[in-house]
Amino acid sequence: MRDSMMALIKKDFRGVTTNKHLFTGLLVVPLVLTIILPSVFVFLIYFNPNDPDIQKLLELLPQSAQYGSLELTVAGMILNFILPVFFLIIPIMTASIMAASSFVGEKEKHTLETLLYCPMSVKQIFRSKVAASFILSMTVSLISFLAMILVLEFETFFLMGNLLLPSVNWLIILLIVSPAVSLIAVTLIVRVSAKAQSVEESQQSAVFLIIPLILLIAGQFTGVLLLNKWILLGIGAVCALLAWLLLKKCMGRFTYEMLLK
Amino acid sequence: MKAITLQNLSKTYSGGKQAVKQISLSLERGEVFGFLGPNGAGKTTTVKLLNGMLVPSEGNCSVMGFDPAEKPEKVHALSGVVTEHAQMYDNLTGMQNLIFFASIYGVCKTDSLKRAEVLLEQLNLEEAGNMRLSTYSTGMRQRLSMARALIHRPQVLFLDEPTSGLDPESAQNVNRLIRNMAKQEGVTIFLCTHQLRYAQEICTKYGLIEEGKLLAEGTLDQLRKKVKPGAAVKIYADNVPKGTSLQEIGTHQYETVIRSDDEIPKIVRNIVEGGGDIYSVTAQRPSLEDIYFALTTREEEIL
Repeated sequence: MRDSMMALIKKDFRGVTTNKHLFTGLLVVPLVLTIILPSVFVFLIYFNPNDPDIQKLLELLPQSAQYGSLELTVAGMILNFILPVFFLIIPIMTASIMAASSFVGEKEKHTLETLLYCPMSVKQIFRSKVAASFILSMTVSLISFLAMILVLEFETFFLMGNLLLPSVNWLIILLIVSPAVSLIAVTLIVRVSAKAQSVEESQQSAVFLIIPLILLIAGQFTGVLLLNKWILLGIGAVCALLAWLLLKKCMGRFTYEMLLK
Repeated sequence: MKAITLQNLSKTYSGGKQAVKQISLSLERGEVFGFLGPNGAGKTTTVKLLNGMLVPSEGNCSVMGFDPAEKPEKVHALSGVVTEHAQMYDNLTGMQNLIFFASIYGVCKTDSLKRAEVLLEQLNLEEAGNMRLSTYSTGMRQRLSMARALIHRPQVLFLDEPTSGLDPESAQNVNRLIRNMAKQEGVTIFLCTHQLRYAQEICTKYGLIEEGKLLAEGTLDQLRKKVKPGAAVKIYADNVPKGTSLQEIGTHQYETVIRSDDEIPKIVRNIVEGGGDIYSVTAQRPSLEDIYFALTTREEEIL
């Protein structure tokens, strides 16, 4: 049965990579969040280091968070405190692109019925769809992280004369929070997709998943909630548990009849 | 073991529409069963019930011994389905589509490649095999769906209007394929159609359904006996003596209804002995179409 699921996952990947519209959508968000946005931050710091607000903020920072120069300290702060939260948008957005069309996309193309006539249970089809979106979302996230680090290091090295060290926060984000958030997003979106009547309807519902992240971003910027490794680990553990529960329970009651409605 | 059985099978949709009403029938292996009825009669609902896509409201059914409501995956592994709503992927070529579905059915890559090539050839799609499905015509899509349903060598084949949208030559090709599969490989065919003449060409057994109710089932001879026994004898003759039971329907053309073939020699003898000249005698048995209309009219009269 694994072979059937693998075949379905491969087919879904192909569906995204051969569709220019979807593929472009898949690249735009990571490009903005991991290349353009960090670069804008770095250039702003470099060309406007004496901003009084930044000075005040720096005075509040613990000694451990400070680097050699003022620019590097601010850049380090952006890398380790601001960008991780922005980064979490990537798995959600990537997941929404593929997962939103998972069931309802098949329904619109009249291929869902063909798939349901195959010897796979609804649960197996659901899991294959979740796995495809999850793998894609994780791959895009990892590539985006590598691209971001490469660009940031390059920029800080040439502009500020030194390299930045990503904190342990990034390890927690990449290994726990991002996969868990991605899995929650994928599972919920695929489930919505199974009930939706059009891809648009499914995508609209997916947008709501961004709201908690926007609150986190606002918290980071205003200083209400400064994410440290323990808070991140806590968030990661809760998200992982939620993802596991969703994956177990989400598709339990779905039948062929409900999917074909 | 029967290939397909239905016992008092009923389906009422959540909106209250009763699409299938207490249908009971059974099919042997290798049978080509024509499930005939107008649009909206309940044919597709029955196919969906037999494949576990719908759960019966009453009664039960089985395909190769498996209850589709309980074990749909087992039924799907043994059967192939062609319906107008079961399409394939436009972004893949015909061959890629077949290989994809073969892998879902657990056919290994080498076997699926060979099988796909054979099926594409049998269905006149060799050249189209490497073209994307988005470039296919309706008829080509229909034939590829047929190849998809056969890729895993199913034991039961459910075909919902398989020749709609096909040109006469392709339809004949598909018919030949269906007939051969039933005869040579023992595949049981459950064929839904409203094209009665087409059904009469390939089916060995029939079920006539209207508004969810099975009006009659059996072989053509059984249906004839049940619904319209006997035959209409048409005689082309001159100088026919008066006083026979023949009815004149045109110049030198006469007709009479007989209950058994034994009556034909007697009729011929009467004409010849009375000084008549016979040019031709044909016994016309009721076609499936005649039986169907006789049944539906009878049903309307009862209502």
